[in-house]
Amino acid sequence: MPSELETAMESLIMVFHRYAGKEGRSGTLTRRELRTLMENELSGFLKSQKDPTTIDRIMKDLDANGDGEVNFEEFVSLVVGLSIACEACYRTQLKNTQTWNL
Amino acid sequence: MEGAIKTVVMQYLSSARGKESLGGKNFQKLVQGQLGNILSDTDSASAVKDMMKGLDDNQDGKVSFQEYLTLVGYLANSLSEQKSTASGHEEAPKH
Repeated sequence: MPSELETAMESLIMVFHRYAGKEGRSGTLTRRELRTLMENELSGFLKSQKDPTTIDRIMKDLDANGDGEVNFEEFVSLVVGLSIACEACYRTQLKNTQTWNL
Repeated sequence: MEGAIKTVVMQYLSSARGKESLGGKNFQKLVQGQLGNILSDTDSASAVKDMMKGLDDNQDGKVSFQEYLTLVGYLANSLSEQKSTASGHEEAPKH
Protein backbone atom coordinates (compact mmCIF):
# COMPACT_ATOMS: atom_id res chain seq x y z
CA MET A 1 0.00 0.00 0.00
CA PRO A 2 1.63 3.27 -1.04
CA SER A 3 1.69 6.03 1.58
CA GLU A 4 0.10 9.44 1.13
CA LEU A 5 3.43 11.00 0.18
CA GLU A 6 4.20 8.25 -2.31
CA THR A 7 0.75 8.61 -3.84
CA ALA A 8 1.27 12.37 -4.10
CA MET A 9 4.58 11.93 -5.94
CA GLU A 10 3.01 9.37 -8.21
CA SER A 11 0.18 11.73 -9.10
CA LEU A 12 2.61 14.58 -9.88
CA ILE A 13 4.40 12.28 -12.31
CA MET A 14 1.10 11.20 -13.89
CA VAL A 15 -0.09 14.80 -14.31
CA PHE A 16 3.16 15.79 -15.99
CA HIS A 17 3.10 12.91 -18.45
CA ARG A 18 -0.59 13.32 -19.18
CA TYR A 19 0.01 16.86 -20.46
CA ALA A 20 3.49 16.27 -21.87
CA GLY A 21 2.15 13.58 -24.18
CA LYS A 22 -0.29 15.84 -26.01
CA GLU A 23 2.04 17.37 -28.60
CA GLY A 24 5.72 17.84 -29.45
CA ARG A 25 8.16 15.58 -27.66
CA SER A 26 6.31 13.23 -25.35
CA GLY A 27 8.62 13.64 -22.35
CA THR A 28 8.47 17.44 -22.20
CA LEU A 29 5.88 20.20 -21.89
CA THR A 30 5.59 22.74 -24.68
CA ARG A 31 4.45 26.24 -23.80
CA ARG A 32 0.89 25.32 -24.74
CA GLU A 33 0.94 22.10 -22.72
CA LEU A 34 2.29 23.97 -19.70
CA ARG A 35 -0.47 26.54 -20.06
CA THR A 36 -3.18 23.87 -20.23
CA LEU A 37 -1.68 22.08 -17.25
CA MET A 38 -1.65 25.24 -15.19
CA GLU A 39 -5.17 26.21 -16.21
CA ASN A 40 -6.58 22.79 -15.40
CA GLU A 41 -4.47 21.69 -12.46
CA LEU A 42 -3.40 24.86 -10.69
CA SER A 43 -6.32 27.21 -11.06
CA GLY A 44 -6.71 27.59 -7.32
CA PHE A 45 -3.04 28.38 -6.72
CA LEU A 46 -2.28 30.59 -9.68
CA LYS A 47 -5.07 33.05 -10.07
CA SER A 48 -3.25 35.20 -12.61
CA GLN A 49 -2.34 32.34 -14.96
CA LYS A 50 -4.68 33.74 -17.62
CA ASP A 51 -2.21 36.57 -18.18
CA PRO A 52 -0.06 35.46 -21.15
CA THR A 53 3.04 37.17 -19.76
CA THR A 54 2.80 35.04 -16.61
CA ILE A 55 3.07 31.83 -18.55
CA ASP A 56 6.00 33.17 -20.56
CA ARG A 57 7.79 34.17 -17.40
CA ILE A 58 7.15 30.84 -15.70
CA MET A 59 8.22 28.97 -18.82
CA LYS A 60 11.47 30.92 -18.98
CA ASP A 61 12.15 30.44 -15.28
CA LEU A 62 11.58 26.71 -15.49
CA ASP A 63 13.45 26.00 -18.71
CA ALA A 64 16.86 25.58 -17.11
CA ASN A 65 18.51 23.96 -20.14
CA GLY A 66 17.04 26.53 -22.53
CA ASP A 67 15.55 24.08 -25.04
CA GLY A 68 12.18 25.86 -25.09
CA GLU A 69 10.34 23.01 -23.36
CA VAL A 70 9.93 21.89 -19.76
CA ASN A 71 11.16 18.41 -18.86
CA PHE A 72 10.22 16.59 -15.67
CA GLU A 73 13.25 17.78 -13.77
CA GLU A 74 12.37 21.37 -14.63
CA PHE A 75 8.74 20.73 -13.74
CA VAL A 76 9.89 19.63 -10.28
CA SER A 77 11.19 23.18 -9.73
CA LEU A 78 7.65 24.42 -10.24
CA VAL A 79 6.39 21.94 -7.66
CA VAL A 80 9.13 23.00 -5.24
CA GLY A 81 8.34 26.68 -5.77
CA LEU A 82 4.63 26.13 -5.18
CA SER A 83 5.33 23.99 -2.11
CA ILE A 84 7.45 26.74 -0.61
CA ALA A 85 4.70 29.27 -1.25
CA CYS A 86 2.12 26.94 0.31
CA GLU A 87 4.27 26.02 3.28
CA ALA A 88 4.06 29.48 4.83
CA CYS A 89 0.36 29.58 4.31
CA TYR A 90 -0.40 26.09 5.68
CA ARG A 91 1.90 26.72 8.64
CA THR A 92 -0.19 29.73 9.64
CA GLN A 93 -3.38 27.76 9.15
CA LEU A 94 -2.11 24.99 11.38
CA LYS A 95 -0.96 27.41 14.03
CA ASN A 96 -4.41 28.90 14.17
CA THR A 97 -6.21 25.61 14.49
CA GLN A 98 -3.56 23.84 16.58
CA THR A 99 -4.34 20.45 15.12
CA TRP A 100 -1.78 18.15 13.65
CA ASN A 101 -4.21 15.50 12.53
CA LEU A 102 -4.49 15.34 8.79
CA MET B 1 -2.25 18.36 -8.54
CA GLU B 2 -2.93 20.98 -5.89
CA GLY B 3 -3.93 18.16 -3.55
CA ALA B 4 -0.62 16.40 -4.20
CA ILE B 5 1.34 19.55 -3.38
CA LYS B 6 -0.71 20.03 -0.25
CA THR B 7 0.11 16.47 0.81
CA VAL B 8 3.84 17.07 0.25
CA VAL B 9 3.72 20.18 2.44
CA MET B 10 1.43 18.75 5.11
CA GLN B 11 3.46 15.58 5.56
CA TYR B 12 6.44 17.73 6.46
CA LEU B 13 4.53 20.10 8.71
CA SER B 14 2.80 17.35 10.62
CA SER B 15 6.09 15.49 11.06
CA ALA B 16 7.80 18.66 12.30
CA ARG B 17 4.98 19.17 14.82
CA GLY B 18 5.03 22.94 14.75
CA LYS B 19 8.82 23.26 14.69
CA GLU B 20 10.76 25.02 11.96
CA SER B 21 12.67 21.92 10.90
CA LEU B 22 12.75 18.15 11.31
CA GLY B 23 15.02 16.62 13.91
CA GLY B 24 16.56 13.19 13.43
CA LYS B 25 13.81 11.23 15.13
CA ASN B 26 10.96 12.91 13.31
CA PHE B 27 12.78 12.62 10.00
CA GLN B 28 13.23 8.92 10.59
CA LYS B 29 9.54 8.55 11.37
CA LEU B 30 8.59 10.42 8.21
CA VAL B 31 10.88 8.33 6.02
CA GLN B 32 9.74 5.06 7.56
CA GLY B 33 6.07 5.94 7.51
CA GLN B 34 5.88 7.63 4.12
CA LEU B 35 8.71 6.36 1.94
CA GLY B 36 8.99 2.72 2.93
CA ASN B 37 7.74 1.44 -0.41
CA ILE B 38 10.01 3.40 -2.71
CA LEU B 39 13.14 3.41 -0.57
CA SER B 40 14.96 0.37 0.67
CA ASP B 41 16.74 0.48 4.02
CA THR B 42 14.23 2.75 5.74
CA ASP B 43 14.23 0.35 8.67
CA SER B 44 17.91 0.88 9.19
CA ALA B 45 18.50 3.81 11.52
CA SER B 46 22.03 4.29 10.22
CA ALA B 47 20.90 4.38 6.59
CA VAL B 48 18.32 7.04 7.43
CA LYS B 49 20.96 8.99 9.33
CA ASP B 50 23.27 8.89 6.31
CA MET B 51 20.46 10.10 4.10
CA MET B 52 19.79 12.94 6.51
CA LYS B 53 23.45 13.95 6.44
CA GLY B 54 23.34 13.96 2.66
CA LEU B 55 20.34 16.30 2.68
CA ASP B 56 21.56 18.62 5.39
CA ASP B 57 23.01 21.38 3.20
CA ASN B 58 23.43 23.90 5.98
CA GLN B 59 24.79 21.25 8.36
CA ASP B 60 22.59 22.13 11.31
CA GLY B 61 21.77 18.50 12.04
CA LYS B 62 18.14 18.96 11.00
CA VAL B 63 16.18 18.70 7.80
CA SER B 64 14.66 22.01 6.74
CA PHE B 65 11.64 22.25 4.49
CA GLN B 66 13.89 23.10 1.54
CA GLU B 67 16.12 20.13 2.26
CA TYR B 68 13.05 17.90 2.46
CA LEU B 69 11.89 19.19 -0.93
CA THR B 70 15.27 18.26 -2.36
CA LEU B 71 14.59 14.69 -1.30
CA VAL B 72 11.04 14.68 -2.67
CA GLY B 73 12.23 16.19 -5.95
CA TYR B 74 15.06 13.72 -6.25
CA LEU B 75 12.75 10.77 -5.61
CA ALA B 76 10.10 12.06 -8.02
CA ASN B 77 12.79 12.40 -10.70
CA SER B 78 14.04 8.87 -10.19
CA LEU B 79 10.51 7.46 -10.20
CA SER B 80 9.68 9.33 -13.37
CA GLU B 81 12.83 8.10 -15.07
CA GLN B 82 12.08 4.53 -14.04
CA LYS B 83 8.62 4.85 -15.50
CA SER B 84 9.68 6.32 -18.82
CA THR B 85 12.37 3.68 -19.24
CA ALA B 86 9.88 0.98 -18.40
CA SER B 87 7.33 2.26 -20.88
CA GLY B 88 9.92 2.53 -23.63
CA HIS B 89 10.20 6.32 -23.98
CA GLU B 90 13.72 7.24 -24.88
CA GLU B 91 14.14 10.45 -22.98
CA ALA B 92 17.63 9.89 -21.68
CA PRO B 93 18.25 11.57 -18.33
CA LYS B 94 20.94 14.22 -18.58
CA HIS B 95 23.28 14.89 -15.73
